[in-house]
Amino acid sequence: MTLSQLPNYLRKHRKRLGLSQNEVAFLLGAGSGAKACRYERFSREPGFRTALACEAVFQRPIRELFAGLYEEIEREVAGRAMELVLKTGQMKSDRQTARKRETLERIAASKSKKHHNP
Amino acid sequence: MSKHTHRRNGRILAIAPSSRGFGFAVMEGGETLVDWGVKSVAGDKNADALKKVGAMISLYKPAVLVLEDASAKWSRRSRRIRDITKTIAAMSATAQMKVALFTRNQVMRFFFEDGVGTKYTIARIIAMRFPEELGHRLPPKRKPWKSEDYRMGIFDAVALAITKQVRGK
Repeated sequence: MTLSQLPNYLRKHRKRLGLSQNEVAFLLGAGSGAKACRYERFSREPGFRTALACEAVFQRPIRELFAGLYEEIEREVAGRAMELVLKTGQMKSDRQTARKRETLERIAASKSKKHHNP
Repeated sequence: MSKHTHRRNGRILAIAPSSRGFGFAVMEGGETLVDWGVKSVAGDKNADALKKVGAMISLYKPAVLVLEDASAKWSRRSRRIRDITKTIAAMSATAQMKVALFTRNQVMRFFFEDGVGTKYTIARIIAMRFPEELGHRLPPKRKPWKSEDYRMGIFDAVALAITKQVRGK
């Protein structure tokens, strides 16, 4: 069964560390706890700097903290990689194109493999 | 934002109503505790609790809702708790999720071979299983002249969620 993940797991990690939303907001440089609350309730996505700050605070990689969001972005990237694979099929066949195709196929396949073999 | 709207996501929401509010636990994939805590209610307690449970259901979109079977033959839960358990279970129809009810005896039999134990012993087992998440939330053992610590609601809810995950009722 495929497990559809939540967009982020910030609340889980905040509670694990025994921090309040105000304290997390302060550590993230996000102003008030209301912003941290909005991240936890999935009503707002943090920016890149804040996401990196989350990794620093919770000591977990971004892809784990934002597992659902990462899954969604990975799926989109895989779709775009597939489009490029089709385009490279029309290119002249040389070593560089073969290398490129190999890379793109790996990116496109990584997501579908995870989906079919969770 | 990503749409985590799958019903077959393996996510479980366990609710343990009490006189002050309810304890809750959200688990994923059998081993991961996603959220846990206690919500207090005031005024019209059942209406307030329903509102808060509804908000949790719309946030986490669980596949299964787990509750204590307060209407079981030997259950000693109050009329209000029986009512709210029924109402929360009825919410599952509109939210398209399954409901699992476990009696206190079923939970006890799951944690103890002979089915004999205490809520506090279960809480300690759970705190050892999730030391990072719940180790610091374990209350001291209740003195006979004191009322139950509000944090026990968390452990009651986690016990229900684990029973559901393992027994797969």
